[in-house]
Amino acid sequence: MNSVNDKIELTLPFKAEYVSVARLVASGVCSRIGFDIEAIEDIKVAISEVCSKIVSIGSEIANSYTIVYDVSENALDVSYVCDDPSLKCIFDEEKDGLAINIITALMDSVVLCDKSNRIISMSKVLEGNR
Amino acid sequence: MSEGLKFVQEELNDSVKLSLFGEVDIYTSQELKEKLYSIVDNNQTDLIIDCKELNYIDSTGLGIFVGALKKTKQYGKKIVITSLKDNIKKLFIITGLDKVFVIE
Repeated sequence: MNSVNDKIELTLPFKAEYVSVARLVASGVCSRIGFDIEAIEDIKVAISEVCSKIVSIGSEIANSYTIVYDVSENALDVSYVCDDPSLKCIFDEEKDGLAINIITALMDSVVLCDKSNRIISMSKVLEGNR
Repeated sequence: MSEGLKFVQEELNDSVKLSLFGEVDIYTSQELKEKLYSIVDNNQTDLIIDCKELNYIDSTGLGIFVGALKKTKQYGKKIVITSLKDNIKKLFIITGLDKVFVIE
């Protein structure tokens, strides 16, 4: 985790039509940090892949999930939280799947199934600061 | 919000060309699936997917391309993907699908 300056939280319903909102917010946040166009596209794809997975699984007890964008001077940390504890280790059954391959290839670090309440967390550092 | 997904379909001599406009994500992927599968089943010809105006695709969309390719191969035909933008071509390379599809 990088030293965090600002935290932006986006809470979305489990609906496919709002996944694009997560991409829009990612785009704005990443642009503010100073990522180039290619890195912004990478981050948007990774964030969207996680949202799609969460939405496709859904929840019996929660109405929404939250994406936390932790913004620091030279990096973005993104984590996902939800009140539904069953939404954990969501990529466990598809370790060789397209989505997780894409996410791990595009982000600098990805943490699945950690001991916190996060569904997944991942980060990208500005080029030149790695 | 999302720019959505639009199609333009052209019947060529021995193939069908489908041009994609906009974004393929979990919201629009079902639409893409229905369109591709119906073209493959109804025409049973080679399929050219023009991605010049495709701005975004995720793993759901890539999975649908793979499904359509399987169906196309059942008819002994192929899918050719053209004019991929760099950000999308990168996803084909990451997933190894650049070796599965004919990309021009």
